[in-house]
Amino acid sequence: MALLEVRNLVKHFPVRGGLLNRVQGSVHAVNGVSFDIKRGETLGVVGESGCGKSTLGKTVIRLHEPTSGSIRLEGQDITSLGPREMMPFRRKMQIIFQDPYSSLNPRLTINGHIREAVRFHGVADAGSIDDCVDDILLKVGLRPEAKHKYPHEFSGGQRQRIGIARALSVRPELVVADEPVSALDVSIQAQVLNLLTDLKQEFGLTMMFISHDLKVIEHFCDRILVMYLGYVVEELHAEDLDEQARHPYTRALLGANPVDDPDERRPLTVLQGDVPSPYEPPSGCPFVTRCPLAMVRCRQEMPPLEPKEPDGHPAACWAVEPKSAPAD
Amino acid sequence: MIGRFLGSRGWRRFRRGRLAMASLAVIGVYFVAAVAVTLGAVSREDTKMRVGPNRLPGFLERINAEKRYDFNKWYVGELSGVFGRAQRAGDEAAAREMLGAFALAERRMSGAAPSELFPVYETMEKAWGELDDALAMREDLADERFVLRAEAAEQRASGADASATEARLREVEERLSEIRPRVEELYREVERAIEVLLPMPEGLRGLVYRLRIGLGTDSKGASISSQAVYSVKIAFQVGFVTALLAVLIGTILGASAAFFGGWVDHVVLWVVSTLSSIPYLVLMAVFVYVFQAPSLAKWFDNPDRPGLGLVPLYAAFGLTFWIGTCRVIRGEVMKIKELEYVQAATALGFGRFSILLRHIIPNTAHIMFINFSLLFIGAIKSEVILTFLGLGVKGQPSWGIMISHGADGVTNFFFWEVGAATVFMFVLVLAFNIVSDALQDAFDPKHV
Ligand SMILES: Nc1ncnc2c1ncn2[C@@H]1O[C@H](COP(=O)(O)OP(=O)(O)OP(=O)(O)O)[C@@H](O)[C@H]1O
Ligand code: SF4
Ligand SMILES: [Mg+2]
Repeated sequence: MALLEVRNLVKHFPVRGGLLNRVQGSVHAVNGVSFDIKRGETLGVVGESGCGKSTLGKTVIRLHEPTSGSIRLEGQDITSLGPREMMPFRRKMQIIFQDPYSSLNPRLTINGHIREAVRFHGVADAGSIDDCVDDILLKVGLRPEAKHKYPHEFSGGQRQRIGIARALSVRPELVVADEPVSALDVSIQAQVLNLLTDLKQEFGLTMMFISHDLKVIEHFCDRILVMYLGYVVEELHAEDLDEQARHPYTRALLGANPVDDPDERRPLTVLQGDVPSPYEPPSGCPFVTRCPLAMVRCRQEMPPLEPKEPDGHPAACWAVEPKSAPAD
Repeated sequence: MIGRFLGSRGWRRFRRGRLAMASLAVIGVYFVAAVAVTLGAVSREDTKMRVGPNRLPGFLERINAEKRYDFNKWYVGELSGVFGRAQRAGDEAAAREMLGAFALAERRMSGAAPSELFPVYETMEKAWGELDDALAMREDLADERFVLRAEAAEQRASGADASATEARLREVEERLSEIRPRVEELYREVERAIEVLLPMPEGLRGLVYRLRIGLGTDSKGASISSQAVYSVKIAFQVGFVTALLAVLIGTILGASAAFFGGWVDHVVLWVVSTLSSIPYLVLMAVFVYVFQAPSLAKWFDNPDRPGLGLVPLYAAFGLTFWIGTCRVIRGEVMKIKELEYVQAATALGFGRFSILLRHIIPNTAHIMFINFSLLFIGAIKSEVILTFLGLGVKGQPSWGIMISHGADGVTNFFFWEVGAATVFMFVLVLAFNIVSDALQDAFDPKHV
């Protein structure tokens, strides 16, 4: 049984406006996403800015209310649990945020941040809370004496370590890492990634790792979901990324031409233009406005996410040959 | 909490501003005054007690001949009153008691035996009588001189013999020049006698008396400086209580509206927009009027319960002033509640109230702080306005009462009462405004 099973997850944000502040429409941030994460696995979610990666991550751990679909953690349906019933699951799912500044309360010391979490969930008994806090700080590479300082006294990289410590202090099963290194200097990114790799080993973490950088994802994750405009367009194993990626969007992210390009002399595809607004998504294939292979059919019909040739990993594109069912 | 505030970057930035620090020192002085008054340094009796003649100007104003006459006349009148009664009392002990009872604050009747004082008093009376005569004589002579001069000029012009007139004129002028030093001498004699009978106290008591009359006296001879200083306490009471009340109400309602949204937000917004569509002075007047209903006035408009007299003001200001704070806090909480540390707390499973109290409200502290200082000063100014209109403080000194009492003095060129109240209030308001501005700059989240 997978640790996390997500089926047809949809998240729409209502858009209000006008004289009476009525709902005028909705932003389709996540549109029917399904995936599993096995215990100990790291799932990467990649896509351009605004494609709904953060929304997906936050909906999965119930920071946003899902519009429809289901989320199961360890086989239990947690999609519509109330705050009280949700409590035991809160400890099991934690999140690491992108912005090391807004993710820490400027008026709480580091001790205040971590201690309240440890005590609230009874991770350590009353006498050993301090040791527990020191221990987790050491594990993320901070000196325990630093715990009486306030967030503004730390650098961006150190703050990110504090955010990691807060998430891991309650011994979660699943950690959503929402672009944990994108806001950091390149030199520090590597340190924090190495730290995450070590911690993943040490705590036996299951992770959902969100990034817009395919290189980081490929290096860090076991499996990859490629998202575009709230849809999963391709799902594949990290080691297959370079050879097996078939969807034109994934290819474009890799900086390569589509595999099945009929026009061999076409210059290397570069993604042009903006991602269409999730408020008014195009009909048919979401990628149609920017796809080098777009056909008439793409505008009319939404391609299903189905196994493709040759290895059978799922992708959503009319131009990619589906895997033929094995002959009986 | 305070230690952290003093170590914070905002405070360090604030401390660098010289003007702001000076203003803070000024506010500190006012605060010390308010505390001292509360501890009894200036009592309510002090502000009503007669300390000298009516409308005595402060030390900065030179007393002209006319006023010198008025003030001496006042002293002579008061003293002849007591001495008259003391002489009629007959026996020595009763006279001594009667004399001892006369005092202008620290300036008490001399402790010498009545038998020693009576002669001094009599000399004073005599000198005053002579002075009156001399002054009347001087007036007559001056009139005559005017007439003679005109006559002489006319006679000279018409070629008639003017020598008789001129001789008379010389005689008049001679007598006038004799009378002038005599008047001065009599004045000094009277003043010396007053000084003996009512000696200026020595040392600390003397200093206190000088401070009391330093800014002059009002139309009842009560000390203006005592009233102005006592009013500092009233102003701080009104400012502190109402600002605290308003900031608390505003923060609780604003934060709840933004954080819980839904019908809470609707109700709060409805109340805010309804109240803010009414001019605030009218609103406050209405609240104050409510307390004048007979059943409430028994408690809140009663000279026997001066402590409760300010409650209508607290209520009126507290219920009016929270609106602005509520708006600002609501906006800020809207912003804060989307921040990731709030999401992190939700992800950890903390309840909504604990998030509100631990993560959201503390982060609006700088806004509460700035609003407090703005409302503090707003309350003081409104108190003065309402009091001036007769709706505010009653039965205790207040800058508003001083201004409304002193207003008719101004038409007689007596500015001390209105001036003292205005300057006391102006300096405090200015200092507070400078400090609020500096706080706003120093604690602007753009820097923090
Ligand atoms: N609370 C919200 N209310 C309304 N719209 C939202 C909200 N959060 C996100 N959105 C919208 O949903 C869409 C997806 O946003 P999301 O933050 O999930 O994208 P993302 O892939 O994480 O992008 P980024 O790389 O910039 O973080 C965006 O169009 C965004 O404007
Ligand atoms: S379905 Fe059509 S538009 Fe969409 S990715 Fe495939 S080729 Fe491009
Ligand atoms: Mg994001």
